[in-house]
Amino acid sequence: MQMMNDQPQSWLSGSIRFLGQSWLEWMETVHRIGAFTLITLGVVVTKWGVARQVVYPEIREQIARCGLRLFPTVAFLGFALGFVIIGQTVALLTKVGATNLSGVLMVTVVVRELGPLTAALVVLGRVGTAAVIELGMARALGEVEALEALGIDPIHYLVVPRFIGLTVSIFCLAVYLILVALGSGWVFGFLEDLPMKPAEYFGQIAAALRWEDFLLLTLKTLTYGSLLSLIVCYHGLAQPMRIEEVSRATTRTVAQAVVGCVFVDGLFIVLYLLL
Amino acid sequence: MGDMSRDWALPKPAPVLELVDAAIARPQEPEAALLSDIQLRVDTGDFCVVAGLQGSGKTVLLEVAAGLQPLLHGHLRLFGEPVTRAEGDSFRSIRRRIGTVFEGGGRLFQRLTVEENVSLPLRYQRDLRIEDVAADIAEVMEVCGIGRLVGIPASRLAKGWQLRVALARALSLKPELLLLDNPFASLDSVHTVWWRTFLLDLVRGHAFFGGVPRTLVVMCDDLRPWVRLGKRFSVVSSGRWRTLGDQAAVLEDTDPTVRALLVEDL
Repeated sequence: MQMMNDQPQSWLSGSIRFLGQSWLEWMETVHRIGAFTLITLGVVVTKWGVARQVVYPEIREQIARCGLRLFPTVAFLGFALGFVIIGQTVALLTKVGATNLSGVLMVTVVVRELGPLTAALVVLGRVGTAAVIELGMARALGEVEALEALGIDPIHYLVVPRFIGLTVSIFCLAVYLILVALGSGWVFGFLEDLPMKPAEYFGQIAAALRWEDFLLLTLKTLTYGSLLSLIVCYHGLAQPMRIEEVSRATTRTVAQAVVGCVFVDGLFIVLYLLL
Repeated sequence: MGDMSRDWALPKPAPVLELVDAAIARPQEPEAALLSDIQLRVDTGDFCVVAGLQGSGKTVLLEVAAGLQPLLHGHLRLFGEPVTRAEGDSFRSIRRRIGTVFEGGGRLFQRLTVEENVSLPLRYQRDLRIEDVAADIAEVMEVCGIGRLVGIPASRLAKGWQLRVALARALSLKPELLLLDNPFASLDSVHTVWWRTFLLDLVRGHAFFGGVPRTLVVMCDDLRPWVRLGKRFSVVSSGRWRTLGDQAAVLEDTDPTVRALLVEDL
């Protein structure tokens, strides 16, 4: 009887311990990524202009890899997003006689929410994971120590180009994605005989856009880019790694980056409500 | 008169590398001493060989000597400068005077080509494009016998050639001190002969360095190829450091580890 009473208690205490440990581990990771962020920002500031002939081509390479090469994927997603949003809502808006809200809907859903988040997640999936593997392998094979031995700052050579490249690319891709989604939204409306002229549709969008949208879109995409690049570089480089640990580091990066993006998204929703 | 001659005597130059009462630890176990009581003094033009069986801590010792890992305790001086914290730009300027060739494939940057690997330190330190350092790189690659490997990705090379590229990369900044981690471990006989000749040239004064002798510190797990090359020898065994002395001292030493490193009684 005593044993039966003890079982729920031990299950409860075990669960609480598990939650507590998980929470502490998360806090420790946040703390370490915070420290890594400060170190990276310090290097960006103090080494701006140092070894430009080596670091600038690396930045260009990262922008090409994350931005230019992902443009077709992002354009396709933007096109599909515009189609889906207008396609799903146009019938509903027509029923209630509120087709004049199409523009507002696109601004709210695409510009404020899905555009930046989709661009960030595409970059994470296509480039971020590859970058963790690349950096993790470099770490495991001792290339980081080799850089140090040659007097090259690994943060400056490996992290700064990815930090700048991913940040700039996510901003640019989000803008492209939004433009394509808005355009494809009108195309769908036109195909569906939505009683709305292009000028009216784009006029609605222009009217729905506020200056805060431009400011917060910029801030949001830059935050996503910084966050993703720092999480990727932290898990790839910041701690000693063996080759067999690279796959675990990659899955951990994806999980933490997605949670981080959703968290940032939540903060920006609060900011929109406050403005 | 005797006092006068003492007054006029030139001060003895500071050692290139000095480890005093030092202990080192693996990065994975930073609190546990892997090797203790290290007393190493390397002067200009020395050719020091540190021998030890696998897992005795030679690679960690090399990384500590290069300032890549911290000491557990004790003192490290490089070119007379105490190294208290192996970080920061001031220490990086000291590091540029040290060339390091790691074991195996030399830890080349796998995504880069041979000439990109060799030119990277020079381009980074001098802020130059690869075209601007082409002549310097061609020279060092020719010296290391890898001139024909231009354009080949480092990852496609055999270990012996990778190590030569790593040597060229380390020499590109014309270091005063060269640290080598078990360079003969993965070489065939042709590469080994080339390395022996080249290292002797470096200690005597290679034309690439204007005939000025370089200082070498080599870690190895087999003393046989080194016993006729090195000038001063030490051995690491069971977590302890022991200075052996010159070639004759090594050959006369009766310690079982030294005999094993000379592959006797095996």
